[in-house]
Amino acid sequence: MDRKFIRNFAIIAHIDHGKSTLADRLLELTGALTAREMQAQVLDDMDLERERGITIKAHAVRMKYIAKDGQEYQLNLIDTPGHVDFSYEVSRSLASCEGALLVVDASQGVEAQTLANSYLAINHGLDLIPVINKIDLPSAEVERVKEMIETAIGLDTNDALLVSAKTGLGVPDVLEAIVQRIPHPKGYAKNHLQALIFDSWFDPYRGVVVLVRVFQGTLSKGDRIRLWSNGKSFEVENLGVLTPKPVEVDTLSAGEVGFLLANLKNVGDTKIGDTVTHEDRPAIEALPGFEEIKPMVFAGLYTVDAHEHTQLREALEKLRLNDSSFFFEPESSAALGFGFRCGFLGLLHMEIIQERLEREYNLELIITAPGVRFKVTKTDGTLIEIDNPSRWPNPSEIAKVEEPVIVATILTTEEYVGGILKLVEDKRGKQKGFEYVGAARVMLTYELPLVEIVLDFYDKLKSVSRGYASLDYHLSGYWESPMVKLDIMVAGEPVDALSLIVHREFAYDKGRALVSKMRELIPRQMFEVAIQAAIGAKIIARETVSAIRKNVIAKCYGGDISRKRKLLEKQKEGKKRMKRIGRVDIPQEAFLAVLRVGEE
Amino acid sequence: MNAVPIGVYISVPFCRTKCSFCNFASDVFSQARFDEYVARVCADVAAAERMAEETGGILGRAADSIYLGGGTPSVLAPEQLEKIFAAVRSRFNVAPDAEITVECAPGTVSDQIVASLLRCGVNRVSLGVQSFVDKESRAVGRLHTRDIALRDIERLRAAGITELNLDLIAGLPHQTPESWRRSLAEVVASGAPHASVYMLEVDDDSRLGRELIAGGTRYHAHFVPDEDTTAAFYEEACAVFGAAGIPQYEISNFARPGHESRHNLKYWLRQPYLGFGVDAASMLHAGAGAVRFSTADNLEEYTRGGPVSVTPVSEEQALEEAFFLGLRLNRGIDLRELRMEFGPARLMRLEPVLRELMEDGLLVKTAGRFALSPRGRMVSNEVFERFLATEGAPAGAVPTAASP
Repeated sequence: MDRKFIRNFAIIAHIDHGKSTLADRLLELTGALTAREMQAQVLDDMDLERERGITIKAHAVRMKYIAKDGQEYQLNLIDTPGHVDFSYEVSRSLASCEGALLVVDASQGVEAQTLANSYLAINHGLDLIPVINKIDLPSAEVERVKEMIETAIGLDTNDALLVSAKTGLGVPDVLEAIVQRIPHPKGYAKNHLQALIFDSWFDPYRGVVVLVRVFQGTLSKGDRIRLWSNGKSFEVENLGVLTPKPVEVDTLSAGEVGFLLANLKNVGDTKIGDTVTHEDRPAIEALPGFEEIKPMVFAGLYTVDAHEHTQLREALEKLRLNDSSFFFEPESSAALGFGFRCGFLGLLHMEIIQERLEREYNLELIITAPGVRFKVTKTDGTLIEIDNPSRWPNPSEIAKVEEPVIVATILTTEEYVGGILKLVEDKRGKQKGFEYVGAARVMLTYELPLVEIVLDFYDKLKSVSRGYASLDYHLSGYWESPMVKLDIMVAGEPVDALSLIVHREFAYDKGRALVSKMRELIPRQMFEVAIQAAIGAKIIARETVSAIRKNVIAKCYGGDISRKRKLLEKQKEGKKRMKRIGRVDIPQEAFLAVLRVGEE
Repeated sequence: MNAVPIGVYISVPFCRTKCSFCNFASDVFSQARFDEYVARVCADVAAAERMAEETGGILGRAADSIYLGGGTPSVLAPEQLEKIFAAVRSRFNVAPDAEITVECAPGTVSDQIVASLLRCGVNRVSLGVQSFVDKESRAVGRLHTRDIALRDIERLRAAGITELNLDLIAGLPHQTPESWRRSLAEVVASGAPHASVYMLEVDDDSRLGRELIAGGTRYHAHFVPDEDTTAAFYEEACAVFGAAGIPQYEISNFARPGHESRHNLKYWLRQPYLGFGVDAASMLHAGAGAVRFSTADNLEEYTRGGPVSVTPVSEEQALEEAFFLGLRLNRGIDLRELRMEFGPARLMRLEPVLRELMEDGLLVKTAGRFALSPRGRMVSNEVFERFLATEGAPAGAVPTAASP
């Protein structure tokens, strides 16, 4: 198709502001899917998968739209992941578009992620169309929201679209605006091929499915392609577009979006942001913006049952097939045995992986407190990077420690600013900005150590703001900090898996809070158990779990011995789910006690 | 094989009210259902042979204990009680010196009932007093007072039933150290030769238990003493009864010497017994091992002829039982006897467990017998658990090559 009639766009929205409802409406209006089919798509995902032999993952949907000018347009809606952990993926999706709908809830206003993604879009040169959604709600405050969009993002809202995705009100105007206000893609079908990979996943039937946006040249079935970052070459076996049903096509040319299959087995080969070009007629340069994804958050993963270690490794390998952004390597812990050190993009990412391992692979896991990667300069001048507290050098060998720092943007309403300021100060934050964006809305910009964010920042922010604060962050660099290793000892034994790297000044508070939380989480044992926090040889906090006072079945139950046996077996089973360290049974949650400090 | 005399247990799941702490199958049912139930129990007793055959258990005719538990068997009409006993006596040869116990709730022991008990040959009554402090018994829904309990004790004794057991529960709502001592003193003063002390069980099966778990205030749940206090009550009972010449002989049982309950001892000594009625458990010897089975645990299902659930006891499990049941008794277990019964190889595997439990002060060894220490008794579930085999791996986790 002539690129003049192509529009590539994304939808930027905060969670629950109506992105998927609006997307559904657009699909419905353009006839891509009937209302019934949309329902069916959700419900019968698994069946569809089997039937079509391809995973339906509607991350780039092509729609046909006959505009008011009578011309047929090809609209490509490119989805963006909705979480701060995936900001690089978001940036690659946005890079594949010429414009975006900025959807804002008329009663909620702009949130931090929307803001961050809007800036990202503007920096990529996208044209943004403000769409104020849910205008049918009684609590809608269109003028206030317009003002926020103008102040916070700097967009002219005079021609903002007012819609209700739920009722369909104003949605046809959105389609028309996409055509009128978003520029068509540039590039020439005859140029050397440059296609951007903005998503890829492993499909058990077809191998790796790669979503690409072609910027220059033409990609055809049977072409020999080369991946820029690793130089690997493959033959294109299939090309297609998602409507959202997969439809095969012969070519994808400059300006178009679609999927390619090339008998790829490893998602690690198809890195997001990488450039696809032709093997025999390569482009002169790669598309800009490619980065190797680097994990930011690290934690140890262990199975409760040591016998499941092999299953864990196999499960991690399988997950890796579909997610090249997390990494793992074997590690061992004196307390927990053999496990894996894993790196994640962020906390959510870590939770997703953990949940999948537990749910899909039926593994019972112990995950250690998440940490970050520090740069440690030793007294002999060598620089090492450490993401595992157990490798922390002896304090006398440390000349300097640098920790990763982020810039956080927090949007909130005036009344919660006090609490949030206290929180970010407690978390060693440095203020970079404090601005009003619209009436009673405040945007805070802070530099914060990443390690403070990965521990318990989200939950605390949510609680001090009662949920009325949104956060976005990106890595900004490193700063020097006096970090120390805090050890936790249970019944006199140091438990390496509980060690943490903390700022010297906060070590005492953290140590005290941690042992007190541990005291709540460790059930009473047959003997008194001391829980201590120490820095080096110095004990800085101590709590005691008193011994079990009674555990006895007195009742006779008319000789129902089977019932007694069941109770004993249940008790024994409960202990198996805990990790025995020395002679103390420690429940899984205790290894994440640090995340739960301050609860209740 | 000549079968040893068995104990016969009859469950009577009827009560006038359901106490808040009750986690049994008992409940309040209309009297219209009593006849139907009694008829069903009698038919089951008559068909005991078939039950034994179906489960593979060995059953003779000799019985040397009968126990009517509940529930509140004394809510049955005299004719109903007598029908049950007649059924038992026509199926079993009941020894002349058999121990024949009926559980009664204070306030249900009328002259009529006492006369009926005597006609049935009952020589032992277990009274569910639970507390001699009226505020406490009222709070859990009991229908009697201290005075009624004392009057019933006198009435039974006057009728010649002197083998009395009094039940107490430690950990009832409103119980205080002072009120608990009062209940203990009443038991001692009553001269009853046997007492049982249970600690309140907090689980999903009772209203009070559920309320405690939920942290609510119904059923006086917020007046329930904490676990440590309840534990202290129990220890005090051991001390007070011991000093009064009613020493503890089992985790929850106390008796003047010679007055231990023969029927209850069968449970701990793995001697055979047959249970009839709702939620009634049985154990019969079977071949080299044993078989346990129990009837449906609710009245509807039982009267509909619900299935009996059967659990064969392997030799390994029998050995585990020997420990977790035998150790309930203060006299403990004799390893030499167990070696004879199970063979030395099987026992060897548990020796490290025994050693460790002794080192921890939970078991003591005197005159060749292992018994729980007072501390071990308080945490007996933790001790017993150690004797259970984990999946695949035998208890003690020490592999033996010499296993027969």
